[in-house]
Amino acid sequence: MYGSFAAVDGLDLDIRRGELFGLLGPNGAGKSTTIRVLIGQRRPTAGAVTVAGHDVTRDWARIKPLFGYVPDRENHFEEFTGRRNLEFFGRLYGVPRRRAQDVLEMVELDEAADLPVRGYSLGMRKKLLLARSLLHEPPILYLDEPTANLDIHSAEVVHRILRERVKLGATIILTTHDMDEVETICDRVGIVCRGKLVALDSPLALKQQHTERMVDVIRPDGERMVFDLDTDSGRRQLAELVTAGQAASIRTREFDFHATFLKLTGQEFS
Amino acid sequence: MRWYILHALLHKEFARHLANRGGIALALLLIVAAVLLSLFSPEEATGGTGMVGGVHHCLVECDAESPLVTHLKANIPKELAGQVHFRQLQKPESIEGMVDYQTGIGAIQLRHISAEKSPTGRRAIQVFIWHPDGEPNAMAPYEAWFWRESRRGFAALARQKGVAEVPAEPTFDPESRWLVLEAHKRFQDQVEAVRHASPGSMPVVPDLDIQWKGLGGKVLDFRAAIATGMVVFALYFACVYLLPTLNCEERERGVLLAQALSPASPAEILAAKFLFYPVLGMVLAAVIAGIYKWAVLGSLFFWLSLAAVGGGFLGIGMTVATLAKTQRAAFLGAMCYLLSVSMVLLICSTNGIPFIPYLAVEYHGPRILHAALTGDVYPSHWHHLLAAIGLAGGWLAAAGWLFRRRGWQ
Repeated sequence: MYGSFAAVDGLDLDIRRGELFGLLGPNGAGKSTTIRVLIGQRRPTAGAVTVAGHDVTRDWARIKPLFGYVPDRENHFEEFTGRRNLEFFGRLYGVPRRRAQDVLEMVELDEAADLPVRGYSLGMRKKLLLARSLLHEPPILYLDEPTANLDIHSAEVVHRILRERVKLGATIILTTHDMDEVETICDRVGIVCRGKLVALDSPLALKQQHTERMVDVIRPDGERMVFDLDTDSGRRQLAELVTAGQAASIRTREFDFHATFLKLTGQEFS
Repeated sequence: MRWYILHALLHKEFARHLANRGGIALALLLIVAAVLLSLFSPEEATGGTGMVGGVHHCLVECDAESPLVTHLKANIPKELAGQVHFRQLQKPESIEGMVDYQTGIGAIQLRHISAEKSPTGRRAIQVFIWHPDGEPNAMAPYEAWFWRESRRGFAALARQKGVAEVPAEPTFDPESRWLVLEAHKRFQDQVEAVRHASPGSMPVVPDLDIQWKGLGGKVLDFRAAIATGMVVFALYFACVYLLPTLNCEERERGVLLAQALSPASPAEILAAKFLFYPVLGMVLAAVIAGIYKWAVLGSLFFWLSLAAVGGGFLGIGMTVATLAKTQRAAFLGAMCYLLSVSMVLLICSTNGIPFIPYLAVEYHGPRILHAALTGDVYPSHWHHLLAAIGLAGGWLAAAGWLFRRRGWQ
């Protein structure tokens, strides 16, 4: 709750061990608030949140070492170098100093490791956040838009790292606005809208369930027609039009996750 | 409390100050100022210099309201209006047989002696000039006023008694005591001559019995005052400025959250800040004090004073850090606190308002640190130390209570 506004309202979600779960939703839907509740930064006003069998509110100290967190807003010591930032947090986690170098290489920041963070680009800062979250090899990763501001190659590097972590048994919850990313790496996704869960399944299943199978046809005289392939009449009318040579242009509406998302969150363009 | 976490947090604070060189530059500036203070005006060369002769306030203490006292009250010059205060003569606090006022305060005591009680059988007014020990000239501005107006007051008294031709005023020089007495005697004789009084009769103008006495406290030593100011500033800078601003900066950037989400517990994060900033302030303060006077580092009173003032400032700094949400708010909070306390202390000091200043660490702190630096520690300074310790405890308790209620996130 933020004052009288419920950022997350009655969210009932069970995330399985070892899965890469995508939490999606439009801006202000409650994704980041959900993650803040999971990391213990915000207390839920009602209900219970359990992570690895521990209540987040009561057993916060036990849960903290179990997760790594990449916030949506980067938070580094600007005056320190990337390496010093990691070494400091590494000492808090009690990991060997060498580990800082390992994660720097993992996210391909080793060449810029000894530069002050204030000179880093947005993408480099984001990669440093991921490196920090991986320092202690946590079994759970909370990633709030981990590939925002990253170039294609860097985003691929992040995807590779996440897949490797999942192979090693880690559970990952990420939020993103990149639907291609969701289709590519997520095992399951939950879509939240106005604080409520509106869909929960694998990306493919959600796409199949919710994407409309429509065909747009433009006749030689310029008239535009739409046919619904899920109805007999739609399929018949389309066949007749094509047979009569009255279709100057035919285009199927793509079955992408982007359209599914817009439909589920009520943001379709008319 | 895990040492490796505490060590990492303390090392981080240290590294941040190494990376942000502003704080180091200011600390070095303070140290250089202390070195200059030590080099260019060695302690042995000065017995103390002062404002208005080293005495910033003069108390005129009278045992009774007499025409002279009424005249003096009505004729305080503008330049001394805020510095001369009249009050009923009371038994002053005594130290080793001497009267002790606060540093920078002198006194003129007036005691009216009746003819019956006077050894000479004549009415007299005893005047005690209490000046800082070894500094009789420190009271010169007040004495110049006092003698001039006494002379005028007595002349008015003579006129009231029917003496038409009062002799002209002499030039009083406070440095030559006999001159004052001679001038008074001459005036007295002239008045009596004009009256055609018979030998042995009671003169109209009473005799004067003047005694100059040294006060228990020394004159305000400006060098010690500057050194005290730098020591207090070092503690204030570390605890009330650096702690809240850097803390709020970490909070604003989100790095405080990152630390809170690590295995470091809130108690460990708090303990690291509790340890680092007062120790930083105390080390800087001790370096400055040590440069000013090496021997002070062996004084228990100095270290107790440092701990009391440092603790008080830490409580204030933590309170500001807990209340402020942003770095800017923390900076402004520290500045507003400093200005408002200074204003209150100034108003209370110039208007003689009691008790309220006792509630400020900034009232007791400079007094005990100045006493420690000059080596003149009197029982009253131990009382100030106890008050500072009490206030430090109060501030720390308030900061702890606020932190439990609001936290840093």
